[in-house]
Amino acid sequence: MLKFHSVSKRFDDGTQALSEVHLDIPQGQFCVLLGSSGAGKSTLLYMVNGLVTPTTGKVEIGGKALNRTNMKAIRRTVGMVHQQFNLTPRLSVAMNVLSGALPFVSYLRAAAMWYPRTLRERACRLLAGVGLSPEHLSRRVSELSGGQMQRVGIARAFMLEPQVLLADEPVASLDPKVSRDIMVLLRDEAKRRGTTVVCSLHQPDLAVEFADRIIALKGGKLIFDGTPEELVAAGLDQIYQHDAAISAPTGSTPPLAQQLLEALA
Amino acid sequence: MNTSPSLPKDWRLTPPWTAKHLLLGMALLALLAFTGSRLEMPRMFTEIGEAVGYSVGLTEKSPVADGLARIGHSIFPIQIAEVTEVSRIENFDRNDLPLFARIEVQETKTARLNPETLQMETGVEKKEVLVEPFGYLKIVLIKMAETLEIALWATVLSILLSIPLAYYAASNYSPNKLTYFLSRSSISLLRSVPELITALFLVLAFGFGPIAGVLALALHAAGFLGKFYAEDIENADRKPQQSLEAIGAGKLKTLWYGVLPQVIPQYVAYNLYILDRNVRMATVIGLVGAGGIGQELKGRFDMFQFGHVGTILVVIFITVLLLDQFSARTRKKLL
Repeated sequence: MLKFHSVSKRFDDGTQALSEVHLDIPQGQFCVLLGSSGAGKSTLLYMVNGLVTPTTGKVEIGGKALNRTNMKAIRRTVGMVHQQFNLTPRLSVAMNVLSGALPFVSYLRAAAMWYPRTLRERACRLLAGVGLSPEHLSRRVSELSGGQMQRVGIARAFMLEPQVLLADEPVASLDPKVSRDIMVLLRDEAKRRGTTVVCSLHQPDLAVEFADRIIALKGGKLIFDGTPEELVAAGLDQIYQHDAAISAPTGSTPPLAQQLLEALA
Repeated sequence: MNTSPSLPKDWRLTPPWTAKHLLLGMALLALLAFTGSRLEMPRMFTEIGEAVGYSVGLTEKSPVADGLARIGHSIFPIQIAEVTEVSRIENFDRNDLPLFARIEVQETKTARLNPETLQMETGVEKKEVLVEPFGYLKIVLIKMAETLEIALWATVLSILLSIPLAYYAASNYSPNKLTYFLSRSSISLLRSVPELITALFLVLAFGFGPIAGVLALALHAAGFLGKFYAEDIENADRKPQQSLEAIGAGKLKTLWYGVLPQVIPQYVAYNLYILDRNVRMATVIGLVGAGGIGQELKGRFDMFQFGHVGTILVVIFITVLLLDQFSARTRKKLL
């Protein structure tokens, strides 16, 4: 479904963000990227929808190599969930979700903010699915809590009915309890639709709990690629104590998670 | 009492100003002294002082106070009624007078040379006049309405003009460097020419009347709005725009959903300011014949009818006052 053929990225300032990454992610897999800041997780994610173009190598989605001419068409099949939610603050919840389907509507409809019935129904169904209620529809996004904003963000991402969903540290600015709820939502929705998910995370415990496959990056290089079980077996056998991490939201990272972080750093 | 341990030497508070600030202040004073003498500022202060002294009875005479008093006497009482000779009104219908109007007979004594006796004779001439107690006020209000219409149209046109200008003048939306440069320079051009000058030229092109006024105001305001719209587009939060670009929404739709909702409050504030400014400027550009109340003001001023001028000034003042209230309220409601 999603293939990276020895992609490398060197930015204009000389930073080598990625070097020679090979990946083949099958349809419907929930794939988590781990790694410390600057390891190249975001660069890898942004390559999928062309926000970053690889210096060498190529990215393939559904058998089609991403290039300038098919960029717009491919972007319509790739949804995205952001760390800072990236919603438009003064716009209503409904409009933010509907804006996820903007590539599909005419300029006139977009300007009048009146979407076709199918899209309106899809938006309502998605918002109900992420646990929001009808009274949220006309509320401004800026009045919502962080967790609710990310729910709106997820609903917006699925408006495209994407084949691939990119999640760029979707829970990095949320508390542990809400983070888990959001991850559950993201996984269940993706599994139900058979969407391939590539999700970067900072919490190894969440990665182990939710991922089908964990990919770890360090300094732009792939250092681990396998199942959560394999990651745990690689010296981190007690990782399933994630509840300890959830009950300790600030300050002390549980020793086992700490161990994993150190291993990745 | 002083038992606290002594502070280390490097803990020392200095005043928030340095010798540089003092020097700058002195330079500024020197500049003011120099320009002040060129502009006769000392005379201004002595004459104002004289006028104040005169008004409280300290000074014998003051030319400034006399001048102001003369203006005051000629403006007040302000002229509200309108008196027209009946014989000058076409198709005058005695039975169908305007509201509040009445007919009066005015007698004027006139000296006349009798051609037979070659003597000066004084005769009494009677003429009928139509007195409308609020006639002139009505004329001024109609002119004021025209002024407001000019301001409204100028504002609408300037908004329409500035939208494409702003799009091409926003560095992150302009398609290329050339369009950016062209729209930026036309914005500067529009803003740099004062309305009064534009109006003068446009009066030559379109003739006396509101067209020149509307266009002059609209062109200037379009430059202002274009600049501020564009800067707000550039400064808007990038995050919502990125998320829409990432799904291939296209520039225009991204602008509509990712930028516009963010900048709408500022845009409303700019538009209200422009409306307010256009009303005030519309009263002025009439001076060069571009329609509205200014044209009436200039005419009465040139005929030394200061009572009429007074009425116009009072109406302008009340209008601006009301407009301030209106825009303050609208802003509160919309933001």
